[in-house]
Amino acid sequence: MSNTVHSQSFLRKYIFSTDHKTIGAQYTITGLVMAALGGFLAYVFRYNLAFPGDAIPLFGELTASQYNTFITCHGMIMVFWVGMPILVAGLGNFLIPIMIGTDDMAFPKLNMMSYWIFLFSAIVLVISFFVPGGAFGGGWTLYPPLSANGYLNPNPSFFKALFYGNSLMIISVALEFTSLLMGGINFIVTTINRRAPGMTPWRIPLAVWMINIATVIFMFSVGPLIAGAFMLLFDIVLGSGFFDPSRGGDPILFQHLFWFFGHPEVYVLLLPALGVLGEIFPVFARKPLFAYKIIVYLTIVAAILSVVVWAHHQFIAGIDPRMATFFSVATILISIPFSGIFLAFMATLWGGKIRIELPMIWALGFIGLFLVGGFTGLFLGSNAFDIYAHDTYFIVAHFHYTLFPSIFFGFFAAFYYWFPKFTGKELNKTLGYIHFWGTFIFFNFVFFPLFFNGLGGQHRRIFNYGMFDSINIEPYITFEKIATISAICLISIQIVFIFNFIMSWMSGKKAARNPWQANTLEWLAGSPPPHGNFDNIPTVYRGPYEYSAPETDADYLPQNVQP
Amino acid sequence: MENQRSLSVPILRVPQGRMAMWMLIAGELMIFGGLIACYVLYRLRFPEWADQAVHTNTLIGAINTIVLLTSSFTVVKAHEAANKLDIGKVTLWLSASIGGGLLFLVFKSIEYSTEIGHGFTFASPTLQTSGDTIGSLFWSFYFFLTGLHGLHVIVGMIIMFLALLNARKGQKLYRVELAGMYWHMVDLIWIFLFPLLYIAK
Amino acid sequence: MNIFPENVSTYGQGIDQLFWLILVFAGTAFFISLFILLYPLYKNHHSRVKRASYITGEKKSQFFLVAVAMCILALSDFIILFAEHDTWETIESLPKVKDVEYIVIGRQWNWAFTYPGPDGKLGTSDDVVIDAPDSELHVPLNKNAFFHLKAKDVVHSFFVINTRLKQDCVPGRTITRWINFTKQGKYDISCAEICGVGHTRMRNFIVVESQEKYNHYIDSLYKQHSAVAGN
Ligand code: HEA
Ligand code: HEA
Ligand code: CUA
Ligand SMILES: [Cu+2]
Repeated sequence: MSNTVHSQSFLRKYIFSTDHKTIGAQYTITGLVMAALGGFLAYVFRYNLAFPGDAIPLFGELTASQYNTFITCHGMIMVFWVGMPILVAGLGNFLIPIMIGTDDMAFPKLNMMSYWIFLFSAIVLVISFFVPGGAFGGGWTLYPPLSANGYLNPNPSFFKALFYGNSLMIISVALEFTSLLMGGINFIVTTINRRAPGMTPWRIPLAVWMINIATVIFMFSVGPLIAGAFMLLFDIVLGSGFFDPSRGGDPILFQHLFWFFGHPEVYVLLLPALGVLGEIFPVFARKPLFAYKIIVYLTIVAAILSVVVWAHHQFIAGIDPRMATFFSVATILISIPFSGIFLAFMATLWGGKIRIELPMIWALGFIGLFLVGGFTGLFLGSNAFDIYAHDTYFIVAHFHYTLFPSIFFGFFAAFYYWFPKFTGKELNKTLGYIHFWGTFIFFNFVFFPLFFNGLGGQHRRIFNYGMFDSINIEPYITFEKIATISAICLISIQIVFIFNFIMSWMSGKKAARNPWQANTLEWLAGSPPPHGNFDNIPTVYRGPYEYSAPETDADYLPQNVQP
Repeated sequence: MENQRSLSVPILRVPQGRMAMWMLIAGELMIFGGLIACYVLYRLRFPEWADQAVHTNTLIGAINTIVLLTSSFTVVKAHEAANKLDIGKVTLWLSASIGGGLLFLVFKSIEYSTEIGHGFTFASPTLQTSGDTIGSLFWSFYFFLTGLHGLHVIVGMIIMFLALLNARKGQKLYRVELAGMYWHMVDLIWIFLFPLLYIAK
Repeated sequence: MNIFPENVSTYGQGIDQLFWLILVFAGTAFFISLFILLYPLYKNHHSRVKRASYITGEKKSQFFLVAVAMCILALSDFIILFAEHDTWETIESLPKVKDVEYIVIGRQWNWAFTYPGPDGKLGTSDDVVIDAPDSELHVPLNKNAFFHLKAKDVVHSFFVINTRLKQDCVPGRTITRWINFTKQGKYDISCAEICGVGHTRMRNFIVVESQEKYNHYIDSLYKQHSAVAGN
């Protein structure tokens, strides 16, 4: 085995690697680079909102059409090129094989291919900034007719139309879906088929469960949108009229296709992060995960419910009011399984022996922030209130309070937890705490004031409120400034993270094999795990959460220790 | 490396290739399912589409259905032969299935060319200029559905061809089964498209 | 507390009250959850505890409390749904009495208003169409005003902040919503759905005035209109 490791060329080992950890790292780093881009866009348009008309440092003047482009690409990038690669593809690749005790994915070559398609999709997206007319600027929801023809000239020639911002955006999203579908097949087959001996379904760590459930929802809901994306593309480049009302097409149909995927998608981004919490809480409370099986069942219930709530994004889009009532009930009911899940996480802490370390504090911060996001979801789910709140900053704040915790807090919790394993180095703690408190505090200062801007009636995707005397008033103007300045701080504080990341990786202290004294299989492998992960494929004797079990005096009992 | 792999035992006794193929098929069915659902919704809204559907060639459609069903049957035969390790028969039946796919495409292109000849194209400019824009939407759906299906026919043929190349060398006979599964899916989708596009008039 | 802008419609109050109602439930649940999350950090800090207790939570007796909390949440969910349903019905369904009606068309990037002509009917040739930047739609006070909402090119969203009404305007459809204004004044109509570059400056006004003034305005409008048509 060691021969194969050493004989690999640099290219095979780091670039065209089929090793799941390298591919996971490739996804994660691509995701982080895209996060930097998405964050930069956020900086530019936030600056404009607080100081309309001013030249923006590091950028210059922003026009209204650039503003639209930037928010659209910001949303797209953060959801599809940051959330998906980091949380689903990245964590899935890092964790699934090693946590279920195998050497690699079921189809390593397919895995590598999905990454390269993913990277290509990101490149297509970035290229779309530079085509004539700029990238697409009609909102990340891609609603036709605006996305179909409304914003550039109506009857373009085929090739010209193919290289418009909107076409390229659709193409890049379609490519990304393809890549994630391939990756998803890989995840599920690996989990079902390649588990170590003894790894029965109820011994699989929650993180693996969650990533797989997320993958299943993704694969189930994305099909119709792929069809819809192509219909939209044909409307643009071939002049068909699938969504063109003047030709019998129906724009609302696309909204249904989008949200039939779009709502499950937000849970796709939430579940892997919940899985990370499920690993971290027991370890730092030295106590079994509370109601592990019930959590899995509740998640499956939530996953099923998640495909029947989509029209809560369209309460006032012109759908039948009675249908809206049905979706309102379903939406509000979905809070029940989630409350069970979150309460179970919190119950894990009760009666534990809690150590507050970096991963733990990120996990706690996650829950604290997500509660705000989740509970504001209840407001929106009630369709009468949504008449007023729809497409205002209340919604912007709601979804940043859900997405940011799950994507960034979830990722950082995972990062601080597994960094020692996958690099073999320890992180600097002080910098870690600075990073946490900076992110936590500034995040709240960015988005909490925006709830009030939304309730005050400020609508979304507005370049300049100057026209609207009734909402361009104090305190909203000050709130915009607070949000912007905090956003700048929020982005700057990430430098601490990058610095810590690079410095610790290059010259950190060597990490032990199992620094947190955890039970799951990844801690059995070397740090960093070699190609093939384990010296011998382990045998599993018990569930992943046997902390402080009565059988032993030690407060943990790894899955592979023979009874 | 290799001996490690054999150490990790699959818990469900389903070969992973077959499992992955099931999932691919499920994903494809969701794509077609979404598209067909859109078509059906529009169809219910526009009874006028019946006037357009008249122009589809039911005879060729029916023949193509039979062709695909037959080739599905031959692919089952190929699978049976693969189980018996009868390479000669595998080659025979797989080639027959590929031939079926080819025949399907030939008929389909005859159909396409007559339709296009009558001015029914993807975006049907003639219909649009004559004011029947809703009718032109029918043809958009028609060409998208059958075109995407045709693409899957081609992909299925390629997969069967690759399986054939392997099988002739006596390698990877399990691929015959996978190719067969994919081909059944292609067939199944056509079974949905045929009544929706050709029979409902 | 004035976290909402002034309400000037008959049903707007319902939405504001709904907000406070949900806030009571969600806020309570939020602080309880926060307590459940943070209290053990103090009580079960590793310096205070020798060994964690081995609770799997799989037993019924252990999960009981969580189940109770879920039931309470379910109950409050139903209270919320129950409370909001009336408001929803009121806003989304039309009242029996129609006093005045208008067609409002969203286009890139302005709201165009159509008043019924002297015959009092919409959709006839004497309709008066106003499509100009900053133009105003005049509406009488305390009357059920119906708005037939349409869009010409892309999706727009008719949003009158002070009445709490928002409704997307979809090309190819006509959606009718109503407002009964309770206060005179001039209010913004904004567009809440992104509709291109000009989305940011898509703003017109609704002017609410007493019936007398309104009649006066309509008369002058007809005069102006026929003068233009006569030329
Ligand atoms: C990770 C992402 C994420 C998550 C998890 C959620 C979760 C939820 N969202 Fe959100 N949402 C988005 C991302 C997300 N959302 C985005 C991106 C948009 C806007 C898209 C756009 O238009 O651009 C959006 C928009 C959006 C809308 C549409 C608004 C509009 O456009 O008009 C609605 C409406 O119903 C909604 C509702 C909900 C609800 C009910 C939940 C629920 O799932 C929340 C459930 C959770 C809880 C309720 C908290 C946990 C509960 C407890 C801990 C209980 C404790 C209880 C006791 C102590 C008793 N969301
Ligand atoms: C995951 C999702 C996500 C995330 C994390 C964010 C993060 C941020 N968002 Fe965004 N946002 C969306 C998803 C997201 N957003 C979506 C979907 C929309 C809707 C778009 C639409 O309307 O169409 C939106 C819209 C949106 C708006 C509304 C625009 C409008 O309607 O006019 C605003 C305004 O304030 C905003 C601001 C911000 C800010 C200040 C941040 C900050 O939190 C950003 C902070 C930046 C970082 C945390 C990145 C730092 C970098 C790293 C950590 C990596 C560094 C590593 C290397 C360089 C290797 N966002
Ligand atoms: Cu019209 Cu926005
Ligand atoms: Cu949703």
